[in-house]
Amino acid sequence: MADRDLPVEPLDGFAPDVDLAARLRASYGALPPADPVQVERVTRAVLASAMHASSRRDGSPRPRWWWGAAAAALLVVVVMRPWRPGLSHAEAHRAFPVPSASDGPVGATREERGGAVRFDLVLPSPAAEVSLVGDFNGWDDEATPMVRRASDGTWSARVPLPPGRHVYAFVVDGKQWLIDPLAPQVPDAGFGPTNALIVEGPR
Amino acid sequence: MTDAELVVRTRAGDPDAFGTLVSRYYDACWRFAYHMLGERADAEDVVQEALLRAYLAIGRYDERDQFRGWLFRILTNLCRNALTSRSRRTRRFVQDELALQSAPAPLPSWAPGVEDAALLRALAQLDPLQREAVLLKYAEGLEYGEMAAMTGAGESALKMRVKRGCERLRALLGRTLEDAS
Repeated sequence: MADRDLPVEPLDGFAPDVDLAARLRASYGALPPADPVQVERVTRAVLASAMHASSRRDGSPRPRWWWGAAAAALLVVVVMRPWRPGLSHAEAHRAFPVPSASDGPVGATREERGGAVRFDLVLPSPAAEVSLVGDFNGWDDEATPMVRRASDGTWSARVPLPPGRHVYAFVVDGKQWLIDPLAPQVPDAGFGPTNALIVEGPR
Repeated sequence: MTDAELVVRTRAGDPDAFGTLVSRYYDACWRFAYHMLGERADAEDVVQEALLRAYLAIGRYDERDQFRGWLFRILTNLCRNALTSRSRRTRRFVQDELALQSAPAPLPSWAPGVEDAALLRALAQLDPLQREAVLLKYAEGLEYGEMAAMTGAGESALKMRVKRGCERLRALLGRTLEDAS
């Protein structure tokens, strides 16, 4: 915000508090400007959230259930390779690393007013980008980019979700699939580990 | 490119135009939200929510309005909601209302590089409407007419909030200086 000269007019008999005003403006000025990368992440997150919000508003269908099924089937064929159980098990283990207690991610979800759920994720090591994927966005790692909070490094995203059960996971730097080890997990049916979330409320 | 031109492009579906608006106003929004809420994470959340609501409501934006004023109208409402919600969460865990009133304000998390911690602590102890009025008047440099359009309050009420807010701030900051000497 560019500095501007303060109005000097009296407030109908109240003298303007110039010292206090100067101190407030100095406090504003002492804050560092926002990181352009952070601003860009916020923009992308807003545009992604708006996509979810608008699809709910205008009645257009939510991501199709068969998007997730198609993605799961692809995972089975590419990763699990049922005809080579030994090989597919080893590759699945590498493709979906389960973090150890000492260095794993830590996540949290919180229902907020207006029907949105906030997903938070703390990573043990730096990442350039993190996406939230789930049955609510067709498992598309470009649909819901997460925003990194400058204050504590937590990655965060908000998604409007209707009441019911939802399944989700995280994708780090476009290639690493992660789940929250502390959140309820869906039994791995061979498609990779995912977390589950129940949103309360009338359906 | 003016704000109005960027709004037109945003309505036409140009994400870069909206990105430019965000770049232009993110800092101003965040500084206000941080001084209102005193918590960096809360301020970031509220600013993002304000930008989302602005984007979703961009079709209703009137070009005769100043975009910054319109955006700040959304932001001030969200800051108020955040403070109301925060006070409700506090009350759920405190049974004794008297203890709540006499308890010192919790210390917010400070952004690095902020020198005036005493000012932020004092702001946190103001009535939220007084805090909002003082910030809009003295930090944002708005006229009372602009503040009235933004907050929906009358100019007389706003002037009184600014006066009382300043008096309380001076008392709190003066007490801090006495304690430090």
